Order: sequence, then structure tokens, then C-alpha cells
Amino acid sequence: MKRLPVVLCVLFSAVLATRAAAHHSFAAEYDGSQPLTVSGTVAKIEWTNPHIHFYVDVKDAAGAVTQWKFEGYPPNMLVRQGWKRDVTLKPGDVVTVFAWKARFDSALGAAREVTFADGQKLNAGPPAGTGGR
Amino acid sequence: MKRVIALSAIVVLLHGSVPFAQTQNTPKRIPRAADGKPDLSGVWITGALALLIGDKEARAILEADRAAGRTLPPPEPAPYTAEAEARRQYYLSRRGVDDPMARCFISGVPRITTRPLPFQIIQMKDQVILLYEAHHAFRIVPTDGRTHPDDIEPSFLGDSVGRWDGDTLVVDVIGFNEKTWLAGVGTIHSDKLHVTERYTRDTADTIRYDVTMEDPVVFTRPWHEHEIFRLRPNERLREYECIENNEDLQRFEKLLQIDPALRAK
Repeated sequence: MKRLPVVLCVLFSAVLATRAAAHHSFAAEYDGSQPLTVSGTVAKIEWTNPHIHFYVDVKDAAGAVTQWKFEGYPPNMLVRQGWKRDVTLKPGDVVTVFAWKARFDSALGAAREVTFADGQKLNAGPPAGTGGR
Repeated sequence: MKRVIALSAIVVLLHGSVPFAQTQNTPKRIPRAADGKPDLSGVWITGALALLIGDKEARAILEADRAAGRTLPPPEPAPYTAEAEARRQYYLSRRGVDDPMARCFISGVPRITTRPLPFQIIQMKDQVILLYEAHHAFRIVPTDGRTHPDDIEPSFLGDSVGRWDGDTLVVDVIGFNEKTWLAGVGTIHSDKLHVTERYTRDTADTIRYDVTMEDPVVFTRPWHEHEIFRLRPNERLREYECIENNEDLQRFEKLLQIDPALRAK
């Protein structure tokens, strides 16, 4: 019986994996084996189709700033999950982003979840998947 | 005055309790059109629910399905010929950079329906209109007994004609071009593709969608796909203009130049 939740999770993940490609194959650009969590200040947001992009200035221990670019769901999917344009995410906001790194672009990621300053978490993009069903 | 208040209380109680009893004890009735056919009209979603409505709600729906014993057959591997399977493997090895969808091409049938964006069905007396949020796509499905026209130009969505088989709407689709994939990466087809869709409103809140794909050029036998559409009473179609800021073409071109795994193909 203890195994049931695990089985459900596996089944649920399988369902997700089959349809992970909202617009294109995740694996084309991103590496599901390279998760990434960074915190920083939002610099810019492109609220556009087929993906939103947002840019986060991330400071390292030595004080050097790297601007990360993150890709997420299209606006319609975000709105349906509780996001509001110009309200939920604004330049100047401090956020933590969980993402997967791009294969070649050193400061590009596929955002999965954003944690806001008040602790609220919202999905920003699809789970890592191959899209290759 | 007291009598009026008491009467009002009884009315409120009755109005409050009757719908509650209905929702608790009897399933909602499947709406029907004037001709007696099940009315499929409404906004529906399918596929990766979680992408559209979030993990929590998607998980609740899937778990309720399991509790109710509602299951779909396991996904069926595409029955490709050896040659077509080799082509599919090639596209898989390139990690999907060739996906027509990434170029903002309209997805064909059934992929347009199973994408994680809602669509709307408008059922009329002699035709059914399918409106898709993805790519502003639409299909007009005559149900007045006509057959496919004889001047079909190959197209992304093909030509559809419908008929009722009891309570199931059966849509016959032919006349496709070869520029779409059917499901995931590399699910190619030829212009001989013949799709048969069956829409069955099996409950007030769901449509069971059973698809048969036949293609004598790429398949050794028919391929089947099954989905459950969910009614979204408070949903509306919005705009999805894929080409607005699609960076994938440029990024994929760059990847093809710099990624040894892709360059070797």
C-alpha cells in the first residue's frame, strides 16, 4: 500500500512526459540532467508567444552579475495558472528560479518554477521531457 | 409578517437543497441538441492538463479518474514500416529540432486537438465547428450527409466530413499535406493519411476521443490514440499567435552549427 503514492507519481509523470512539448521538444534546446536554481533581480520581461522570456540579474559571490534569460509558458497558459501580466512578475522583483540549463547557451534556461519574495511559488514552464513520445 | 418569513425560509431551503441532492446522488445529464443527438458544444481541454491548469488540479482530475475506474488503453507504439521508423529515429536523434510545430506550422489532426491548449466545439444542425486556440485554427465539419469534395487541395488540417453513429460523432478526415506530425517527435505521415475521429460525450463533463490513423505509405496497420476531453465551463478561447516571438528557428539553426550530435546526422 505504501507503494501506491509512488506508483501514482510515476503514472502522473508518464502522462506529463507524453505531452511535454507545448511548442517544441524540450530536449532540442535544454538538458534535463542539468537543473539550476538561481536567485536574482528581474531585469526585463517579454510577455510574448510562443514563450515568455524573462531576464534575471544574478550576482555571484565575488559580486559579478550574470544576466540569465529564462523561457516559460506562453501567456495564455500562465494566465490560466494564476499569473497576471505586469503584476505577478515585474522588473526589480527579487525571485528564485528553478530551471534546466540550455545545452550550449551558458546563461539560458527553461524555467519550471518561480518563487517570489513573499514565498509564493508558481509554475513558469513545463517539466523537463524529451517530447519524443 | 412571520408567515412570510417562514415561507421565505422554506423556499430558500428548498432551492438550496434540491440542487445539492442532485449533485450528490445523480450524475449530471448529458445535454442534447434539438435533434436528440448529444450536444458536444463547449470549451474543452485535453492532453497535458498540468501544462494548462497546473499540477494540483491536473493531479486531482487524474486521481478522480482512477477512483472512478476511468482508464484509457495504454499508448500504442506507432506501427511504422521499417523505412518510416528509420525516419522517425532520425528525427528523434535530432531531438526534435525538425518539429513542424516549432516552426509555428499549424498542427494537423489529431495533434491540433491533443495539444495543451483549449478548443471549442460549436454543434449546429448540419455542421460542427471546431475552433482551436492554437494557431487560430478551425475546422468545419459538415454533418448533412455530404461526402468529401473532389477538388481537395492537400492541407495541414485536411478535409473533414462528419456523421452520427448512434450517440458518437464520427469525423472522417483526408486530404492532408505531409508537413505535420501526428503526435510526438518524428510521427510522420504521408499525404495518403486517413484519420477517423470518434467523439463520444460519455458524461456531462467529458468527451471520450478515439482516433484511428491509417496510412498505407508509413504504417503497417492502423494506429490508435485515445484521449479524454474535459469540459471547462468557465474557460474561453484566447489568442495564441505562435509566430509573434518565435526564437526557435534561429536557435535551432545555431544548434545545427555547433552541436556535434546534430552536425553528425
